Amino acid sequence: MDAILKVDGVSKRFGGLMALSDVSFEIRPGRIMGLIGPNGAGKTTMFNCIAGIYTPTDGRILLNQEGRALEVNGSKPERMTQLGVARTFQNIRLFGSLTVLDNVRIGRHCRTGQGFWGAVLRTRAQKAEEALLIEQSLEYLDFVGLKGKALDIATSLSYGDQRRLEIARAMASGPKLLLLDEPAAGMNPQETASLVDLIHAILEKGITVVLIEHDMKLVMKICEHLVVLDHGVMIAEGGPRDIRENPQVIEAYLGRGAAHA
Amino acid sequence: MLEQQLINGLTLGLVYALIAVGYTMVYGVIELINFAHGEVYMLGAFFCVTFISAFGIPLFPAIVLAMACCAALGMLIDRIAYKPLRKAPRLAALITAIGVSIFLQNLAMIIWGSRPMPFVRKAVPAIFDEVAFSFSDVSISWMQVFIYVVTMTMMIALSLIINKTRIGTAMRALAQNQTSAALMGINVDRVISFTFALGSSLGAMAGIMVAMYYNSMSAMMGYNAGVKAFAAAVLGGIGSVPGAMLGGIVLGIAETLGAGYISSEYRDGLGYAVMILVIIIRPSGLLGKAVGQKA
Amino acid sequence: MFTKFPALKFILLAAVLAYPLVPFTDYYVLHVAVLTMVYMILAMGLNVVPGFTGLLDLGFVGFYGIGAYTAGILSLSYGLSFWLILPMAVLAGAFVGMLRGAPTLRLSGDYFAIVTFGFTELVVLFLTNEIWLTRGPLGMPGIPPVEIDLRWLHAGWRYVFTGETPYYYLALILVALVYAIMLRVENSRLGRAWLAIREDPLAAASCGVNLMLFKTVAFAFSAAIGALAGCLMARWSMFLSPDIFKFWESFLVLCMLVLGGLGNVNGAIVGAVILICLGEVLRIVLPKLGLPAETRFLVYGLIMIFIMRFKPAGFMPHVAGCSFVGRRARELKARLEAERAG
Repeated sequence: MDAILKVDGVSKRFGGLMALSDVSFEIRPGRIMGLIGPNGAGKTTMFNCIAGIYTPTDGRILLNQEGRALEVNGSKPERMTQLGVARTFQNIRLFGSLTVLDNVRIGRHCRTGQGFWGAVLRTRAQKAEEALLIEQSLEYLDFVGLKGKALDIATSLSYGDQRRLEIARAMASGPKLLLLDEPAAGMNPQETASLVDLIHAILEKGITVVLIEHDMKLVMKICEHLVVLDHGVMIAEGGPRDIRENPQVIEAYLGRGAAHA
Repeated sequence: MLEQQLINGLTLGLVYALIAVGYTMVYGVIELINFAHGEVYMLGAFFCVTFISAFGIPLFPAIVLAMACCAALGMLIDRIAYKPLRKAPRLAALITAIGVSIFLQNLAMIIWGSRPMPFVRKAVPAIFDEVAFSFSDVSISWMQVFIYVVTMTMMIALSLIINKTRIGTAMRALAQNQTSAALMGINVDRVISFTFALGSSLGAMAGIMVAMYYNSMSAMMGYNAGVKAFAAAVLGGIGSVPGAMLGGIVLGIAETLGAGYISSEYRDGLGYAVMILVIIIRPSGLLGKAVGQKA
Repeated sequence: MFTKFPALKFILLAAVLAYPLVPFTDYYVLHVAVLTMVYMILAMGLNVVPGFTGLLDLGFVGFYGIGAYTAGILSLSYGLSFWLILPMAVLAGAFVGMLRGAPTLRLSGDYFAIVTFGFTELVVLFLTNEIWLTRGPLGMPGIPPVEIDLRWLHAGWRYVFTGETPYYYLALILVALVYAIMLRVENSRLGRAWLAIREDPLAAASCGVNLMLFKTVAFAFSAAIGALAGCLMARWSMFLSPDIFKFWESFLVLCMLVLGGLGNVNGAIVGAVILICLGEVLRIVLPKLGLPAETRFLVYGLIMIFIMRFKPAGFMPHVAGCSFVGRRARELKARLEAERAG
């Protein structure tokens, strides 16, 4: 298996609504992929299926585990994170009343192992793990530029900073695949520009990034490969230029974004 | 023997149903478990008795008056304790509800003492003790007939109110989606108050009937009956009025049969057990829509 | 307060340690002190579930009862020593906690609260009805006091706890133990995982937190502490009866938490002190006003209504400090400042 993750004929039904219909694509390592489409197309649903929050009604999702394909559809979110798939949320789901540092430390949960007895007895191993964890968490914060705010309460951060914190938290789980759900939503052009830098830096660390975005300028600029969904169906796939000129895509958006990018 | 148990169970069940609809309606509109409802049920009986013995009012007017007082009490509780917490986290509202329940329970204990006392014997028409119908080894007393007739009437009236009147429709709208209902011009507070008034008056009626039927009432009666009626509401599907009615009847019959044939010491336990099992196995209850756990 | 006057901490500690030895001690005060400490343990135990994982446990007193009756039965029927029974009661609590927790793992909010409530009612019903085991409503008197029996080392070394003073110190040790464990657990991967579950279970799962496992640990841990308190109480008051463990007690402990600040271990302790002392004050004052002593429950109800209305976060709303507190926080802050400047 070459791809990092393969979506194979995935469908997702909610009662009478078919949110995803037989969607198939591959996520190749080391590049930025964009998942785009008008509102309600099923993009976040797709993310949720990959990340384990939803179980596909049909089809399979295969994750590359050391060259072999592992079927992960129906796995729980905890397991997906452990397998190396991390995500951020469209509506920012931080641990609001906890500090910035704690958010990241929790993000690293699956890469640490101390449990109840370690905590109670304060073994040497536990103390070492905690100390290392702080250093590593501070590094992740530094990576997104939030190190100075480590002890601030998460909800006190500005909107843009909260998005960065969510990214830091996702990165702390040491993923090989990072799913970003509308990371640029609500950002001004400056913030968007530094987000672009951040995403490139993430890529340089060897992490594959998949983006859901509505900001077409951003998408066309950084994504090397695009998958377009509309009403749960994949209507196009390819490089930015092909997608931009694809009549079906333009029609789906009805002149929004795509025609102007 | 079995038939008699069924009759008795049905009597108990109808009473539970009457209390249960109060819980379910309030939960339907504001998603709050109104712990104080059991106390309103208890106070219905006490108000009635007070009106009869202290003011010399005859039975039926006293009943109506007690119901009205409890309706007002229900609205008052909502206005003072629950309304300020509409936007607060669920835990706060729940604790407040328990606080109100404890307050009322102990208030009743201070005023009327904590020992069980009998209903006012002389006010109850003597005919109620007598057997109305009797066949094979089953006998139904006039008291039981009275309970059937009254509860049935009230439940029919309730259904009519909920389904055929404007305010009933408003209640149903509120239960579905509070924001949209408000946007449609429904006066949310007024509908909620009405819901409390309605549920409380029915609960009061139930309290009075129980006190008359067993000829015993105490400040603690609200707690026990309240939990069971709530279990009935959960069994039927919390938020569903027909569910509460059905749940009440089922629970009443099950409890009576269980006490008769299995164990009378654990009769109260049946209600709790039912509640737990329903929530674990099928949280939507008998008549509620199957609720999937939200992601 | 303690950060401004660090010496205050030591003075208070010294006072608490020395009190029973001072000549003017009052038996009643000691008794209330031990009672308060039992509740402190209960409050800290309950704090784990609503305070850390955000689930409302309305049936906590069930574990208190299980611990107490385990201690009572083992003491009376088998004559086991307190020191042996304590871990057994704790284990019994943990086990039942897991048992109760298992079917509730997928439940949230109101449904969880209802099931915990129903569960405890069933426990109390069981304790009341199974007379062959618990003597039911007659209660279980004559539970032996705690004793330290070292006669296997030396003939004369046997000390039976008499009066309140030895129990005072025993309770103090247990409170300190539970407190220390709480702080350590709070400021650990486990504690952080619980807080994540409280804040946002979905996000917590997405961070890799195994919700089922961590919730189960929380239930078992909380129940174990409740059972610990029960065990202490059984051997201290030397009498048990099922109506000590009714729903009201669960609510009282919950009030202590809410008063002190949900999630805050220090708050749990403060809450316990306030409500027990208030209870004792009311117990004395109310009869003087011509009201039965039971009226104090009414006052509790009122207090809860007012607190929820005006100060729902409690008096010490500082969120459970799994972030650093005190010295380590200052060190980290200083370091970050230095890096920013440099």
